Amino acid sequence: MGLPAMAANEDFPYSVQLSVVGLSEGLITFTRIFSPDAACEVIEEERHSHVFYQAEPDIWMVMIVEKNKDNESDWRCDALIDVLKEAHSLFTMFNGSLQALLDKQPSGELARSRLYTFINDYLSDFYVGKKIQVPSFRDCLKERRTVQMLTVSREVAIEVQSLATVIGTSSLGSIACKSLILFQDLLVATTLSPGDTANMFTYAVLRLTPHALSSNTSSWTYLRRGVSGSSITASSGLLNSRSSPEEYHHGSHDSSMGEQSNRYHMPRPLQRDNWSKGKDGFLVCDIQLNVGGLVYLAPVVWLQQSEEHMYLCIYQHRNLTIIVLIPVCSQTDGEQGIALVKKQLLENASEKIVHVEEKLSRGWGGENAYHVSGYRYLLVDTDKSISRTSPPGKVMTLAKDSLFTLNKLREEVDLEKTRANREKPDQEKNLEICIRAKNNSWIIAKITQGRELYMVMEKANETLLYASDAVEKFSDRYCDGAFSLD
Amino acid sequence: MSGKASSDPSQVGLSGSGALSHVYIQHPPLRCNVPGTQGLYYDDGNKLLLAPSSDQVLSWKVGPSTQSDPPNSDFIGEGPVLSIRYSLDGKLIGIQRSNQEIQFINRESRETFSRRCRPDSESILGFFWTDCPSCDVLLIKTSGIDLLSYEPDLNTLRLVEAKRFSVSWYVYTHESRMVLLASGMQCTIFSGYQFSSGGIIRLPKFEMAMAKAEANHKPVLAAEDIHIVIIYGRVYCLQFDRVSMQLNLYRFYRDAVVQQGALPIYSSRIAVSVIDNVLLVHQVDAKVVIIYDVFLDCLSPISAPLPLLLRGSSVSGRQALQVEDNLTSAYGAMIYGDSWTFLVPDLICDIDNGLLWRICLDLEAIASSSSDVPSVLEFLQRRRSDPSKIKMLCLSIMRAIMLERRPISIITRAIDVLVTSYAHLVKMENAFQGGDRSSKKSQNSGSQSANTSNIVSAESLDETMNRGKSIIKGAESETQQSTIRNLVNVNDNHAKKSTSKASLDSVSDSDGDANLDAMRSNSGESLDKYLSTDLLSSDAMQDVKKNMKHDYLKQSPIESEGLGCSSSRSDSCISNQQEPQIISVAISLDEMYHFVFALVEEELGGDPAYLIAVIVECLRCSTKEKLRVHPNLYMMMIQMLARTNRYSELALFVTNKILEPSKEVALQLLEQGRQNFQIRKLGMDMLRQLSLHHDFVTVLLQDGYYLEALRYARKHKVITVQPSLFLEAAVAANNSQHLAAVLRFFSDFTPSFKLTSDYNRYHTMLIEMS
Repeated sequence: MGLPAMAANEDFPYSVQLSVVGLSEGLITFTRIFSPDAACEVIEEERHSHVFYQAEPDIWMVMIVEKNKDNESDWRCDALIDVLKEAHSLFTMFNGSLQALLDKQPSGELARSRLYTFINDYLSDFYVGKKIQVPSFRDCLKERRTVQMLTVSREVAIEVQSLATVIGTSSLGSIACKSLILFQDLLVATTLSPGDTANMFTYAVLRLTPHALSSNTSSWTYLRRGVSGSSITASSGLLNSRSSPEEYHHGSHDSSMGEQSNRYHMPRPLQRDNWSKGKDGFLVCDIQLNVGGLVYLAPVVWLQQSEEHMYLCIYQHRNLTIIVLIPVCSQTDGEQGIALVKKQLLENASEKIVHVEEKLSRGWGGENAYHVSGYRYLLVDTDKSISRTSPPGKVMTLAKDSLFTLNKLREEVDLEKTRANREKPDQEKNLEICIRAKNNSWIIAKITQGRELYMVMEKANETLLYASDAVEKFSDRYCDGAFSLD
Repeated sequence: MSGKASSDPSQVGLSGSGALSHVYIQHPPLRCNVPGTQGLYYDDGNKLLLAPSSDQVLSWKVGPSTQSDPPNSDFIGEGPVLSIRYSLDGKLIGIQRSNQEIQFINRESRETFSRRCRPDSESILGFFWTDCPSCDVLLIKTSGIDLLSYEPDLNTLRLVEAKRFSVSWYVYTHESRMVLLASGMQCTIFSGYQFSSGGIIRLPKFEMAMAKAEANHKPVLAAEDIHIVIIYGRVYCLQFDRVSMQLNLYRFYRDAVVQQGALPIYSSRIAVSVIDNVLLVHQVDAKVVIIYDVFLDCLSPISAPLPLLLRGSSVSGRQALQVEDNLTSAYGAMIYGDSWTFLVPDLICDIDNGLLWRICLDLEAIASSSSDVPSVLEFLQRRRSDPSKIKMLCLSIMRAIMLERRPISIITRAIDVLVTSYAHLVKMENAFQGGDRSSKKSQNSGSQSANTSNIVSAESLDETMNRGKSIIKGAESETQQSTIRNLVNVNDNHAKKSTSKASLDSVSDSDGDANLDAMRSNSGESLDKYLSTDLLSSDAMQDVKKNMKHDYLKQSPIESEGLGCSSSRSDSCISNQQEPQIISVAISLDEMYHFVFALVEEELGGDPAYLIAVIVECLRCSTKEKLRVHPNLYMMMIQMLARTNRYSELALFVTNKILEPSKEVALQLLEQGRQNFQIRKLGMDMLRQLSLHHDFVTVLLQDGYYLEALRYARKHKVITVQPSLFLEAAVAANNSQHLAAVLRFFSDFTPSFKLTSDYNRYHTMLIEMS
């Protein structure tokens, strides 16, 4: 066990960092005495929260978040852990596991330098002004690490699937390519496992979709919209951000960074403005990646489920983003192979792509397509890693009290879930909680068969019967009755 | 050229598919070389081959097979015979004795009368019988045409109308009911009439263009250079331009004649045949045939020019080789000989040897000669001659391209062709049902299922329309006959409903041609336009009905249905599987499943991605046509996706309802989800969404969610699940509180539960537990 990646930090002196590492290590060791399988998740200090996440066996990620006094610093521990999980998943997707990097270079220099750039690039999306903004209670109607799907009719779904299979089978004879198809910032089809889909989707929404490409600043719109005006400083125990995010945007490196880049290959897939749309419709990655002496022309990702390296090849037509993943092992002649795949993709599928884009555009209900009036909701399908939420603009209309109470409720539910999972790992927990908040809104959480529904209803009637009726109505109309089993 | 076929016996031995030929004539021919006869005449109105001798005429009915029935003979008296035709009702024989006189003989009374023309100013070019309502005989003279009507009482002909204009020569086919009368210096100005049962249609006068050889020499068009053909129910005229060496194609509309292009010619002598709407242009000098499918106004040949093959009867193996050899030595030399006369539409008469051959298409050979599979399938789907065989051929082509793992795009187009064709058939069926609702009940009693009978009717109507003549082929006829009988039902019902005969015709016509037009719809032409303006060989319908009624009287529909099934099944090539219903060339989605997907599944199972892609394309095509696929196709998909662990795709397929929700699909998901709880949940969700409450509760119980099951059962009032199942689950969980709760639930909500043995048993158990 150890904490290998301790980045150089300007804000905090080395001694402070060292003491934080020592403290974290001590806490983990200590709590393991009582709970050997699951050591501590969070330590609350008066002015800080320490959030722990065991990313890999013997590898921990710790986030220390500073609390401030203006009451905005109410967050949900699981939401913070999800940030760590997401960072780790994305890191693993582009770099392989940390353990593998450490095995390759036991001194940890390689892993450290990669982590440093990667996490900094990742955190650049969390900046609000000059400070990092971690998900707060205002984001309680969001679920990180899930996929947002576009709902389509059967006919369109078949068209999309037909496109997906054309992409999957036509490219290289027997070699099956994987693909994700996104429309706007929503997923339409995938051939990856749910976990890989979630990672790839997250990355696409961050950096690849037309929306992400067009906005120079953060494309992660919900963060911006949800928490405008609040100011929370957060710092990570593993690494720390520079004083201002603009430096990353302009890609300025200090001398030590430059040296590191030369010594070790430094892929920075999360760096902004890496991707741009080429004339042929394919996205071009500005930086050339060079791993182990091999020059890769397209970025390579590592899929957890199939344990394969895949080339990343992205085609965009209007609002349709198609991510094609080509097995690296199939491509002995990297450049030519990918060019061939691209050519075949255009030959076989371009007509279909245009067709599908048209159909999806026609059926696209706009930003507020999934708004249900009277309800503010979050729907999570944990099996499929899918979530759906009220549009951010609508969530913003909620009173602070409502969100605050929901955040508390979710924290309770998180605890309850963990407890149930410990006791009966093979049985799924079903529960339903309705709370009347101070501002008389109904705050509801319902978990049934691996599906979670969180709901805020302001301006609702005061009886519990009314609230549960409302849930049932919602469930019948929008969830195929998944939450109205009894 | 004829020697070429025999030079490689191994190829000949294969029943056609390997031989270098797309068109063949089948041995044995109809033999009509009786000593003493002088010449052979073909009466296309009655399909009789006539051989006059000194004072009588021998007649052979030309049926679908050329079996040699002994000829009938009729007394015709002595005298020269220039041409001879039986009347359409068979009561009279008309004999052109000279260019001045036509003699008519009543077959019963043997009474004769003659019709002469004015010898000084005109001469008779020919005559024919017609079923046009206003007249019976048409006499073509150099000075015009006479429309004559037969008066049985007086036993003479009455002049109905005379149309006066000069005529150089004429061309007539009974198939088209159309006569073209040539006039002018070059004989290129044409008047045309169609004498159909619906009345007489006069075509606008038109002129055919001819290329000039030299400045001062103008070629004259001859009658043998003009051919009237019917392709897909449309009437065409082909004009052989010997100077430019091309065959000009004219299409006849009611109010216009439009040239539709030209085909190149490589021989100074040509002949034209139409078989199953395929146009055959025989390049007689070169002894090859070029075949065209004039469907979408596309005039490129289907395949390379290949010789006409002589093929023996269907004996196989070594014996066949010998037979072929013998045949070739016996007849080979006369292929495309000078004595060959090509008869409309698909016969060859060898006048010198007294033989009649029928030309056949080798569809397998045509299919295998082209690599453009979708086009081949389109071509095959347009054929009507031997539905069962063509269907099998299409199915085997589909299987083959899938097993060869052709690119998905090709497979897609191929599936699209088949599905579109079937969808069109279904539409036809619906159209028929719509117009014929009153007769449905009576049909149901006569046939196994209303659907089949209707498809059949539509099909045969279509076929007969297309072919223009009702040739009921013996070998394959049983199905067709029964189908035609159904058609009679339909038409009779039409007749009952509609008082006028004309409206009956128009109904039939439009139905028949709607088929074609719908198929043609992608060419962008409107259906209405065709219906209103296209000149159809509508009179073919009369032939059909005549034949049908004949058959109808002979046999009851029920018997014939049975016969139809047995005979058609005997020639199908797949024996171990469920037989496809031989009714039409179109392949239903069920058949697509049984004879394509089910058969290739095992071989392609190793590469599920490919097969899934194909199935998705099949779903896409069927959705486009609003057809449903066979439910087993969904099962197949689920199995393959589950087997290869493609959970997220499976989930997508289920949530987007690409796999249409059904109990079967849900149970399959549950089955496949034994190892994978997530897949199992997809199945459970589907059960719930389908409101299959009983099954849902049972599954919940199986998974140990007995309290949830109980709550769900209460909410949805499921009383069909045994209380003991809930109680047993509670006992298995070893939770006395829950057991007590379940027990209490049933005691409270199920009347007289307390009296059952279950109650006592579990009550005792509860006491023991606590």
